[in-house]
Amino acid sequence: MSTRLFQVWRGDAEQGGLVDYEVEVQEGMVVLDAVHEIQRTQAGDLAVRWNCKAAKCGSCSAEVNGKPRLMCKTRLDELPEGQPVRVEPLRAFPLIRDLVTDVSWNYEVNKLIPPFTPRPGVEWRMGQADVDRITEFRKCIECFLCQDVCHVLRDHDLKSRYFGPRFMVRIAALEMHPLDGLDRTELLAHAGGIGLCNITKCCGDVCPEHIKITDNAIIPLKERVVDRFYDPLPIFGRRLRSAR
Amino acid sequence: MERQHDVLVIGAGMAGMRAAIEAHELGADVALVSKLHPTRSHSGAAEGGINAALGNASEDSPESHAFDTVKGSDYLGDQDAIEILCTEAPADVYQLERWGAVFSRTEDGRIAQRPFGAAGAPRTAYAADITGHVLIQVLYEQVCRRDLLVYEEYFAWQLVEHDGRCQGVICWDLLNGGLKAIGAKTVILATGGPGRIYLGTTNAYACSGDGIAMALHAGVALEDMEMQQFHPTTLSPTGVLITEGCRGEGAYLLNKDGERFLERYAPHAMELASRDVISRAEQSEIDEGRAIDGNVLLDLRHLGAERILERLHGTRELSLVFAGVDPIYEPIPVRPGAHYHMGGIDTDVWGATSLPGLYAAGECACVSVHGANRLGGNALMETVTYGRRAGAAAAEFALSHPTVEVPEAAERDAERELKTLLDRTSGERPWKIRDELGASMLENFGVFRREDAMEKQVEIIEGLRERYRSVVVEDKGDVFNSDLTQAIELGNMLDIAACMVTAGIWRKESRGAHARPYDYPERDDENFLVHSLARWTDGGVALDTTPVRFTKWEPTERTY
Repeated sequence: MSTRLFQVWRGDAEQGGLVDYEVEVQEGMVVLDAVHEIQRTQAGDLAVRWNCKAAKCGSCSAEVNGKPRLMCKTRLDELPEGQPVRVEPLRAFPLIRDLVTDVSWNYEVNKLIPPFTPRPGVEWRMGQADVDRITEFRKCIECFLCQDVCHVLRDHDLKSRYFGPRFMVRIAALEMHPLDGLDRTELLAHAGGIGLCNITKCCGDVCPEHIKITDNAIIPLKERVVDRFYDPLPIFGRRLRSAR
Repeated sequence: MERQHDVLVIGAGMAGMRAAIEAHELGADVALVSKLHPTRSHSGAAEGGINAALGNASEDSPESHAFDTVKGSDYLGDQDAIEILCTEAPADVYQLERWGAVFSRTEDGRIAQRPFGAAGAPRTAYAADITGHVLIQVLYEQVCRRDLLVYEEYFAWQLVEHDGRCQGVICWDLLNGGLKAIGAKTVILATGGPGRIYLGTTNAYACSGDGIAMALHAGVALEDMEMQQFHPTTLSPTGVLITEGCRGEGAYLLNKDGERFLERYAPHAMELASRDVISRAEQSEIDEGRAIDGNVLLDLRHLGAERILERLHGTRELSLVFAGVDPIYEPIPVRPGAHYHMGGIDTDVWGATSLPGLYAAGECACVSVHGANRLGGNALMETVTYGRRAGAAAAEFALSHPTVEVPEAAERDAERELKTLLDRTSGERPWKIRDELGASMLENFGVFRREDAMEKQVEIIEGLRERYRSVVVEDKGDVFNSDLTQAIELGNMLDIAACMVTAGIWRKESRGAHARPYDYPERDDENFLVHSLARWTDGGVALDTTPVRFTKWEPTERTY
């Protein structure tokens, strides 16, 4: 039975810091197991969110050794030996206590996005290829690791101007649904702030569901915005057609 | 009292959200209470699919679906409830599609259906291998579209009963602290299953059966509590679920000799026999020494990398992360794990309980559509169909009954009880009691049951409940005190476990998931073709029975 040193952030919005905990570790353990062990035997008041422990619910997001990770999916044997394991809350969001942050901004943004609305009189048939395209986006478990890492939200604090990668994925799932009848391009261009994304692809790097956020969601949506608002040829073409 | 509503739904998983949507459609003022953000609920972990007789993959009918469900239930399911489920299921599935659910499709663009355990025809509609996840998002989108109020991260603790009616609920506000009483003309419990009673379970940590315990403490009877389904393919020791969909795609189950052992237990259906049959087969192989480290092997290799990556990518990922195994090259070690509870709060076919104003739907309820064993794909269907029905019934009751009153005495009593718990400084920490409960239930009330082990378990639970009386909550704070809520959850689980084992001892036969191969190996229709009913009294668990409701099908021998 060996032990490892964990440094877990404790505190609230006013004050706090990393606290050392020595934890007994076993083969196959994940970071969440260690956090639970600390809660059980050393710090019964450690605040943390978790639920499914199978990387499906998106509750246990944190920053492990500085990287946004799901704690239930981060095996101890993939972290460098001989170094303490640092566990911190998601820094892009206001802190509630210890590892629990206030992610409600995301839920507010969600409400700004018009939901699935079928085209009137549509026939309910779809091709598997279309389903596959949006199933990739639907895999999103709303862990908000992508939101946490996006420099626009995290470093520039532009939550009032950019929805963030998760919501680009959500809008893509709606826009690319073959039977949806709404157009969210205007939303993307203005309130959604898609122009603020400069395609650094950090979001895709941290996505636990391996969604190709930038390539499959953001870039195609950017192209729609460009076609509608910026590219002179399609704009001129549309004007000509509507003048006739 | 904080606020009051017409319909208050406790639990915001699929059943809860579907109920809330329906009640709102009918004009009721609805709110939901959830100890988690709604989309974190365990419905989202369901993978395999949702059953309905759409007839897209082959000839099918609601009657055929109903028969498979009745047989699957080992004839303990109430046939009127089952017929309702199977008849209304197709319309409910199409409704989900219209709300944006992206199901996998057939060649000609209709909703695809695949074979699943113990089904006579392929009728399981699916969204890749994330069906529950897609559906919970779809329902949440509908909840948001209707601007339904969600008391998020509120831990529902006690039902308020007054004047012979359920009048609301008292909650602990997990984010800010403090007890909050919410009044409601009707309450719908949709809190899911109690799987966390077991050490090896597929269930999330929040699955502590809170609603079942709340109903129990309010005097409502719990039905068929002994019926606990063990899913045959779970990882050890985490309990992570490997979907039945693998077997639907053609995976094999092997013992340590590389034998497809189901040949000896279910020669016709093989890997697609019903879950209780397979779990028992696996447990026998394990008990008789033909397993490896307590596991049998789920072999996907012959399906080929392309099919695995296309249809079972989630499974492969889980296997890599939680078992350290790549199923393209190696079989996955699996064993039975506590998965789904067929029993629960006794309701009628509209979700109504014996307490006026109190309803229940989903896994926490027992209508009963699953009897002694549930078919894969029927749970998601039940949450939608019976969630809708409970929502409709609750709305109708609320809109035709006068307003509510949460008596001050109820709030004061709760405050006092809470203070006693929080003031305690010496005693035992919850985790030890919880671990002992989990391990002992797995050992003495697992796949195979015997009289002496169950009797021992009743005593063990009594001992744990005694120790629980002096449980200590270390965190005395207000903000995000999960130490407190976990302690309350433990109390719920202990009471539910007592009901489960007591009912198990009473049922002196083997039926469905309740397997007693050593003392009562046969099914006994003459004496036990009845549901068990458990009630909480000062003296302990009191048992009663209620007859099974028959419509079309006489019980016959159940083989696959």
